[in-house]
Amino acid sequence: MKVIISRNELVEKLSGIQSIVDKKSTMPILSHFLLNVGESSLITATDLETAITEPIEISSIDEPGVLCLPARRLYEIVREVDGEVSLVSEDSEWVRIKAGKSSFRIACMNPEDFPKWPEIKDKKAFTLSTEKLREMIDRTLYSAGESDTRYTLNSLLFHIKPQDGILNVVGTDGHRLSLIKTPVQTGFEEEMKLIVPRKSASELRKFLASHEGDVSIDVTQKHVIFNIGEIRFLVRLIEGSYPAYEQVIPLDNQKKLNINREEFLKALKRVSIISREKSYAVKIDVTDSVLTITASHPDVGEASDEVAIEYQGDEISLGFNARYLMDALNYMETERVVFELQEPLTPTLLRETERDDYLSVIMPMRI
Amino acid sequence: MERVILLIDMDAFFASVEQQSNPSLRGKPIAVVGAGKRTVVTTSSYEARARGVKTGMNLYEAKQVCPELTVVVGNNHKYTYTCTKLRELYLQYTPDVEIYSVDEAFLDVTTTEHLFGGPLQIGKMIKREIKRRFGINATVGIGPNKLIAKLAADLSKPDGLRWIKKQDVPHVLENLPVEELWGVGKRMAEHLGRLGIRTCGELARTPVGVLRSRFGIVGEHLKRMAQGLDDSPVVADGEETEDVKSIGHSMTLPEDVHRMPEIRAYLLLLCDRVSFRARQYGYKGRTVTLIIRYRSFETFSVRKKLDTPTDDSHRLFRAVCELLDGLRLREPVRLLGVSMGSLQRQSGQLALFPEQDRRRRLLETMDRINLRHGLRSIVWAATLEPKRQPGVISPAWRPEGVHRSL
Repeated sequence: MKVIISRNELVEKLSGIQSIVDKKSTMPILSHFLLNVGESSLITATDLETAITEPIEISSIDEPGVLCLPARRLYEIVREVDGEVSLVSEDSEWVRIKAGKSSFRIACMNPEDFPKWPEIKDKKAFTLSTEKLREMIDRTLYSAGESDTRYTLNSLLFHIKPQDGILNVVGTDGHRLSLIKTPVQTGFEEEMKLIVPRKSASELRKFLASHEGDVSIDVTQKHVIFNIGEIRFLVRLIEGSYPAYEQVIPLDNQKKLNINREEFLKALKRVSIISREKSYAVKIDVTDSVLTITASHPDVGEASDEVAIEYQGDEISLGFNARYLMDALNYMETERVVFELQEPLTPTLLRETERDDYLSVIMPMRI
Repeated sequence: MERVILLIDMDAFFASVEQQSNPSLRGKPIAVVGAGKRTVVTTSSYEARARGVKTGMNLYEAKQVCPELTVVVGNNHKYTYTCTKLRELYLQYTPDVEIYSVDEAFLDVTTTEHLFGGPLQIGKMIKREIKRRFGINATVGIGPNKLIAKLAADLSKPDGLRWIKKQDVPHVLENLPVEELWGVGKRMAEHLGRLGIRTCGELARTPVGVLRSRFGIVGEHLKRMAQGLDDSPVVADGEETEDVKSIGHSMTLPEDVHRMPEIRAYLLLLCDRVSFRARQYGYKGRTVTLIIRYRSFETFSVRKKLDTPTDDSHRLFRAVCELLDGLRLREPVRLLGVSMGSLQRQSGQLALFPEQDRRRRLLETMDRINLRHGLRSIVWAATLEPKRQPGVISPAWRPEGVHRSL
């Protein structure tokens, strides 16, 4: 290979793949990326769970070819140089890099050893707007598990329900759950539950940030590919069963109260200062027109706050991890929200007033 | 204020309790062994010791030196009952009672000694009461800290009473061999010997830099010990639950085992106990430690960190098994221990999915059954594998099962 690439193009493309490239992997090849120069030139990186391939602009091609380069090291180098960067391979194991008066000779790996892009068979496809996909990830990822032993929880569920023409995206850590839905045209015949690893979802989110327009999504038995413009973002789906999330969404909680979102959020923030060390435990007392939040800690002290509510019904007291309530309220947008309660130890539901496409289910705490 | 610490150490505790509960054994040489096939002397009466019976001997050796030896199988319940009763006695003199092990207790009487006519008087009264109520001799060591109190007891047992006052400490330590110090083992004594240090006086005069470069942070501690300095507090039971560092359990097996399935079965038993206690105290732990002692008494531990804290017997057991799988056992195992650290208080957060709750409810139900009908009323079938119940409890047993450190 003998090519010249602008420094800025390299910096931009390499910075994008840094977090996918696995630095700590026991497989050295995964800390490398593939540079493929030909009629269309591409870079490819993977951690075996996620893979991305995207075009790279080559300023001049003297000799096409394929190289498997150390991603971190090359990134560090190109960040420090100016102008055009020339890459000349000696063989498949060594490459010479020149920029201005700087010159490097870098060890590479054999491109043959780089994981192959999976063959995509029997794919089905649907389309979402980038903006929608971004929103769906943002509003669910925070409630997904992080290192749960039930590994399917450390993910987002993309639940496609073709009969209803609906896509549900769900995140849950086993204590709280968030769900956002959107209408989709899929042409699928059957329901599909795609379990996307948390890390992949958050990587995907980064690539969506700078893109407009639609994302076309290809689904196979084992993979899902998000086509974001010319970027192809492939995710290996988690095998296993996702908990029956629909069964834990309370549909007929009788005690419904209407509350100002900002005020509720601020009061929770204040009171939970006292119970931060105690899993953010707060007690919530609901009476006619007033919601009282209290917290106490034997070594720290006590706090209480009140928020006006629209509520008529029986009084109820229950405990919560304030963090869960604050997270959900943070990702809601309307001025007022509805908080639906039933018993002190049964699931509660938080939703926006004017919209019904987003909800959060929060399990109380025993206090 | 200068502290006044008492160490009360029961003489030949297990043997004394046995002699007390069976009058025909009194005045005779007896040896207590664990249940099952254990044939190693756990402890022996002073009559047996006088004839040369030593802890750690097997029964054959013991009978050789003392043919008229009576062998008694230990009964843990008797010992723990006596220990609990002794604690009540100690509490009459000070609230600061630390049950250090089943037969040793530290009392901090700094603020209460004047009420009873001084530390020696308290020592006398406690010895008299223990003799009257339980028929057991005890040795009381008194000193300005735990280290010296322990030393005073060690130097005056059996049936002793000694007060080493602060001003006398340097004199007592000057020619004392280093291995007499509490916490200095045979190995350490050998290491020190190679540096030409044999007595506490020599150790106290050794520049701290020399010790630090040879033993690290332990070196500094050694020097302080040789100077008779120790500021560790007497931690009253109950106080410790506020700042618990670890929950652990260990057992000397009825016989040395080599077979993995049997080792696993014992480990499940231990994991079950540890997690049971964690649940009772409302803790979840993240670090898991497996302790193994070989037949040769060589002891070591391995540990790992879990992704999320747990109080579930099976998750603990899985982690312990992973640790075990990473080892190659060179000898049959004599003692196994499991401990859980990095503890966090349980929050009371409820689970969203019924299957998570099912697990919790199962454990809670088992705990309730065991609390009402006695421990091990309901057990995991796999723990039935070691048919015989483990032998005499470890001397590190405490009435409150939580340890502040490993």
